[in-house]
Amino acid sequence: MIRFIFPLIGVLLFFFEPVFSLFSPVDIGGEQYTLVPRFVIVYLIFIAVYYSRKDAVLYGIILGLLYDMYHIDIIGLYAFLYPVICLLAVFLIKHVYRDMTTVMLLSLVMIIVLEILSYFFAGLISLTSISFGEFVTSRLLPTMIANSLYIGMFSWFFKVLFLDKDLHQQNEFM
Amino acid sequence: MPQFFSNKRLILLLVGVIVLVALISFSLKDRQNATLPEQIIKDVVGFGQSVFSKPAQYITGVIGNIDGILNTYEENKQLKSRLSEYAAGQVELTDIREENKRLLELIGKEDNLRQFDSIHATVISRNPDQWEEKVIVDKGKADGVEKNMAVITADGLIGKVILVTRTTSTVELLSTENLNSRVASVIADEDPVYGLTVGFDKERSELIMKRIETNTKIKVGGKVESSGLGGIFPKGLLIGEVTEVSTDDYGLTKLVYVRPAAKFTLLDHVVIVKRKSVTADGTDGSDTAGAEADEKVKSKEGEDES
Repeated sequence: MIRFIFPLIGVLLFFFEPVFSLFSPVDIGGEQYTLVPRFVIVYLIFIAVYYSRKDAVLYGIILGLLYDMYHIDIIGLYAFLYPVICLLAVFLIKHVYRDMTTVMLLSLVMIIVLEILSYFFAGLISLTSISFGEFVTSRLLPTMIANSLYIGMFSWFFKVLFLDKDLHQQNEFM
Repeated sequence: MPQFFSNKRLILLLVGVIVLVALISFSLKDRQNATLPEQIIKDVVGFGQSVFSKPAQYITGVIGNIDGILNTYEENKQLKSRLSEYAAGQVELTDIREENKRLLELIGKEDNLRQFDSIHATVISRNPDQWEEKVIVDKGKADGVEKNMAVITADGLIGKVILVTRTTSTVELLSTENLNSRVASVIADEDPVYGLTVGFDKERSELIMKRIETNTKIKVGGKVESSGLGGIFPKGLLIGEVTEVSTDDYGLTKLVYVRPAAKFTLLDHVVIVKRKSVTADGTDGSDTAGAEADEKVKSKEGEDES
């Protein structure tokens, strides 16, 4: 039973992303701010850091492929970015003390990395022509704010979920 | 670092990168058509997505209603002041419609660029990484949707269908930066001004209408609608309102900024429009990538020359 909970939550978050993006872009004082929900990648980072790197990469590839096929019609972009971000997160967390705040900060930093990579890719295949400065003010910052709210709300829940599972598994092995 | 890049992993990473680059270039080449596995995945994910989106839309609907109630008094005042105007307009409209019908019968003209069938659809998701302005709706081939059909809301034109699977279709909004998205449009006036609505100015949040002859007079505030001359869209779908007239980069043709009539945010219910009149489908027909666009340019250029 518990085996299915992790992928299930991943799929749930995957379905919630586009629902939340229906609210975007937000219009405040005549300026348009784009909010990009990055629920899945935060979840994957938590899996990678607290539970299992292998699982995170596997889910990353599968959810990334679905994302690519369903939303952007370019196969391979997110299927590549998701696992790479997870590996990078694991690599970075090894060098710092693994506690709640650092993991939360790490996921924020990883969202920045993901956004910047996707900006460069979009620029490369000329999906967008906005300048880097505009990208930062109209997209990156609002995205950071929105996602930090989400991280703040859910990271505790994720941590409990994974640490519990971790303990279960250790007990089983013993 | 040496741990992170052991030999085996390095090779795996390289192979992975190569496979992905191949996949990306493969799928970039032909984004207008989905292969069978892609279509199946789109349908399955689309079904799951609509399960999540519809309750969410119900909730936003309720919030919208509450918002509406709060504004009722103001709106009511405004509406009352326009009511008499409306009644007079309505009478005139029915009168003109009747007359138009009679005249059309008189000359035996059945085909009309304005006529269209409509398919009602619900938006189930918006592309979460919003580099492209795309939404996915819950109607597909099975409901008669085809590629390149126009998509409207109650306010006006919002985009066109760019990809269809059995039960979903992807709509590219007019606010896209994709230069292949063009709509043959006309500024409705006593002597109509024809042009192409191409592209979107992100900073101004306005559409740009190009390729307008220099010797035409354009009034700010004029209504821009689809002209139906592209061969695909019906005529008379409202696009927006002229806000500024200027010239293009080369000074050869005029360029007009158009404030879109429809809002591109918080989309929920849309109407997919299929024109009744024959749609053009020659060598530039709907099978080639960006077909409608090319076609429109051709027909437009042909017109300019003549």
